Amino acid sequence: MPIVIPDVVAERGKADAKRHRDKQREVIKKRLPEIISEESIITRKGKGKTVRVPIKGINIPIFRHGSNKKRIGGIGQGDGKSGDVIGRRSAQGSGRGKKGAGNEPGVDYIETEIEMEELVEMMIEDLGLPRLKEKDVREIVVEMGYRIRGTQRTGPQVLLKKRETAREGIKRFWQILRGLERETGKDELMCYRALKQVGGIAPEARDLLDNDAVTRDDKEVIPFPILESDDFRYHKIERDTDLHSRAVVFALMDVSYSMDTDKKYFARSMLYWLTEFLRKLYEHVEVRFIVHHTTARLVEEEDFFATGESGGTICASAYELVDNLIETEYPTSSWNVYVWHSSDGDDYDPEASSAMLRRLFARSINMFGFCEIQPGTKSHDGISGLFQSFRSAFGLTEAKEDDLNVHISDDKSFPFLGVVLRGKEDIHPAIKAFLKQDRWAEE
Amino acid sequence: MMTEKELKRMESLEARIKEIAEEEGLHTTDIMFEVVPARRMIEAMAYHFPTNFSHWTFGRDYDRTRTIYDHTGTGIPYEVVWNFETPRAFLVASNPFTLNVLTIAHVYGHVDHFLRNRYFQHGRSFADIAEEARYTAKRFREYENKYGSESVEKIIDAALTIQWQQHPDPFHEEVDTEQARAYLMQKEKEKIRALQSAGISAKETHEKIAAAEERLRALRDKLPPEPVFDLLKFAIDHAPKLRNWERDVLRRIRNQARALAPHRRVKMLAEGWATYWHEIIMRRLFDEGLLTPEEHGVYLDFHAKVTRENKRDLNVYCVGPMIFKYVKHRWDKGRLGKSYDECTDPRKKERWDIGAGKGTEKIFEVSEYYTDRMSIEEFFTDEFIHGMKLYIYEAMRDQATGDIVYRVIERRAKVIRRMLLNGYALYNMPVISVRDGNFADQGEWYLRHHYQGSELEVRNRDGALGGLHYIWRRKVHLETVIDDKPKLVSFDGEDFSTDE
Repeated sequence: MPIVIPDVVAERGKADAKRHRDKQREVIKKRLPEIISEESIITRKGKGKTVRVPIKGINIPIFRHGSNKKRIGGIGQGDGKSGDVIGRRSAQGSGRGKKGAGNEPGVDYIETEIEMEELVEMMIEDLGLPRLKEKDVREIVVEMGYRIRGTQRTGPQVLLKKRETAREGIKRFWQILRGLERETGKDELMCYRALKQVGGIAPEARDLLDNDAVTRDDKEVIPFPILESDDFRYHKIERDTDLHSRAVVFALMDVSYSMDTDKKYFARSMLYWLTEFLRKLYEHVEVRFIVHHTTARLVEEEDFFATGESGGTICASAYELVDNLIETEYPTSSWNVYVWHSSDGDDYDPEASSAMLRRLFARSINMFGFCEIQPGTKSHDGISGLFQSFRSAFGLTEAKEDDLNVHISDDKSFPFLGVVLRGKEDIHPAIKAFLKQDRWAEE
Repeated sequence: MMTEKELKRMESLEARIKEIAEEEGLHTTDIMFEVVPARRMIEAMAYHFPTNFSHWTFGRDYDRTRTIYDHTGTGIPYEVVWNFETPRAFLVASNPFTLNVLTIAHVYGHVDHFLRNRYFQHGRSFADIAEEARYTAKRFREYENKYGSESVEKIIDAALTIQWQQHPDPFHEEVDTEQARAYLMQKEKEKIRALQSAGISAKETHEKIAAAEERLRALRDKLPPEPVFDLLKFAIDHAPKLRNWERDVLRRIRNQARALAPHRRVKMLAEGWATYWHEIIMRRLFDEGLLTPEEHGVYLDFHAKVTRENKRDLNVYCVGPMIFKYVKHRWDKGRLGKSYDECTDPRKKERWDIGAGKGTEKIFEVSEYYTDRMSIEEFFTDEFIHGMKLYIYEAMRDQATGDIVYRVIERRAKVIRRMLLNGYALYNMPVISVRDGNFADQGEWYLRHHYQGSELEVRNRDGALGGLHYIWRRKVHLETVIDDKPKLVSFDGEDFSTDE
């Protein structure tokens, strides 16, 4: 039989492969709560653009033998006696967290690389967040110089738009020619000769035609532009400005003795993700780190998580520092201001803290987040005294969102969000609660 | 790319390969060879047929192979052949010329097996499956347009979950439900009659009659009257809430699976047979001067790669042809039967040759009748297992580094043989039957896992129950064994429950 070279058929695999990759994304989405609390992502050095996420291969489930308890292996071929190692699969780079997801032998795990930005995008999608509304974002006007935009009928010679002006002129030519034909009853060519003879001035052409004084003998109509003052077109220039959005996050942390490494890890996770999100929302995001115990001070990021000091706690000191910074560097007229306070709830003077916080709200900051960190406690263990005093001061009410108690105020002038983190699994709903920022949008 | 001149040469080689195959005693027929781009070959491999319906599992397999091919240059796709009335095979345009000649020789081996082997013959007996796959692709696209791709995908997913749950005997003839019922009822009636005519109304006889009458009553409404293994068939006929187009999806997927299922029993022998013959054919082409020494070198290189030992799997291209070589060798020298088996002198055994000359006859018999399992039972002797250097390995986590370490744990032929036989017993498909389509009189679906020593893997089991529920749309139950105890696992679409 002859060997044939058939016509190339359309590639089908691509579309179905894409469907499979979409399904992988769904799998990643389902694992988001786990993935976002992975230490390797949060503390990742170099801040590369992509992260590696181990996920299970997606298969059609079928009835099959085999218990998970039994040993995993099979039949192979080659040299070696009992006990000899025939292969090794490295655990390196698998990005496994403490729970070691993705590393049980025999389970079909594949590592997918995903862009940080896509991960954040997926979280926004997953959290069912509304697209950010413009009105929620304060913008500032920046002068960018001049730019040409559009057309106008007057202007300096240098800005004349030659082509458009000529086009107007030709339009005018035909308009005049038709007018002459109509008014004099002469044919097109004759009217053209007259118009040409007088250089495009309509009344003079009519005179020529009326007096049969046309001397030109052109054989065809070659249109030429006739320009009246209305027909000139100029570039329009305007001052160029642009709207920019920027935000500042004041990261506040209690570094008194009672905040241990575990608690700081929670604080760090929350802060990491909040900042990632804000970076998506705003063109420019600044983060200022403030640590406090009885007094507050600005520190660098590295010191923020590393600092540990003994002594008591007065939160009001930190709020006061924020208030000063808003006053001097970050006016709320052009900055979106987020204050995120991680604390274990210790405070010597809750009254003073509430009073100070009231001043921040008066400056109409976007949000004040209070994140109480109590690892290992249960929800019936309740909230701290500080939190209690905030509750009464700002009329907070408690609602369950994804198994997390979220405290917010019904009063729109108090954009307060309070959560208690008791375990890793609370991080995801806490972020979600934070991002539901339309909570305070104008109706 | 193939030039006109190369194509001509390829055609004359193909003609000669066919002659050689016939001289060697192979069955041949016209084979449609097509020269295609690599991605088309990869696609055909992933989709099982030259044209088939759209599904993400095919896309996944396509993506996987293509990525490996594109990025590493390894995993050259070189062989795909279909068991159609006119067998069809692809050659990859960008593959080396010699590799394509090898493929043609290999395909002739496969085609002989298609024509000769009873499982492949059976696989071909279900209508024109290629044509059907093409039509299925068209129909599913129409369904997607009409009912949305998501609902089409869902029913396909569910169908694929149970597509291999067929009757354990691939040659089993379908029985009509009502005929089966009538037959079973007839048998019970005969039993009753026989008991009655026995006369003496002993208490025992009474009880037996009562029991038989009870069974007879139950049979009247029982669906299915006897256990059914073909789950898709049962769903197509009796699923209470499926829409017609969904039934059609199940029907078409079942047809494909039924045509492909017999092949699953002869995988190792099929590749073994094709590889065994391509070696012989290629050698002859070289001897006849139709391939240059250089081309022969390219061939040997490639052949060595394909038939290489695999440390963590049984490479059928390696072990498969060795089965036939081993069988030929033994039957030619008469190394079988009582006197050979009972001979204890190793030196005598080593030199054993009674000039039996039955090797060729035997390998054709194996090719015609044997399944992979049968060949393991009969030919995987201690001698063969040791000769092939087979072992059992295990994967373990190295506590210190977190690495997965693979280790040889067993070399004894007896243990390896048992493991292979277990694996090939039912080609690793658990046997599951429908016991009741109207369980608890609530129209629920009740199935039973025929436990034979291996429990079901839990994640897959629950996933598959999800598929069953999607098809039945009422509660589904599966009788199985968990931790050595009989259990009933149920799924109502939301939650799983396990009862004693």
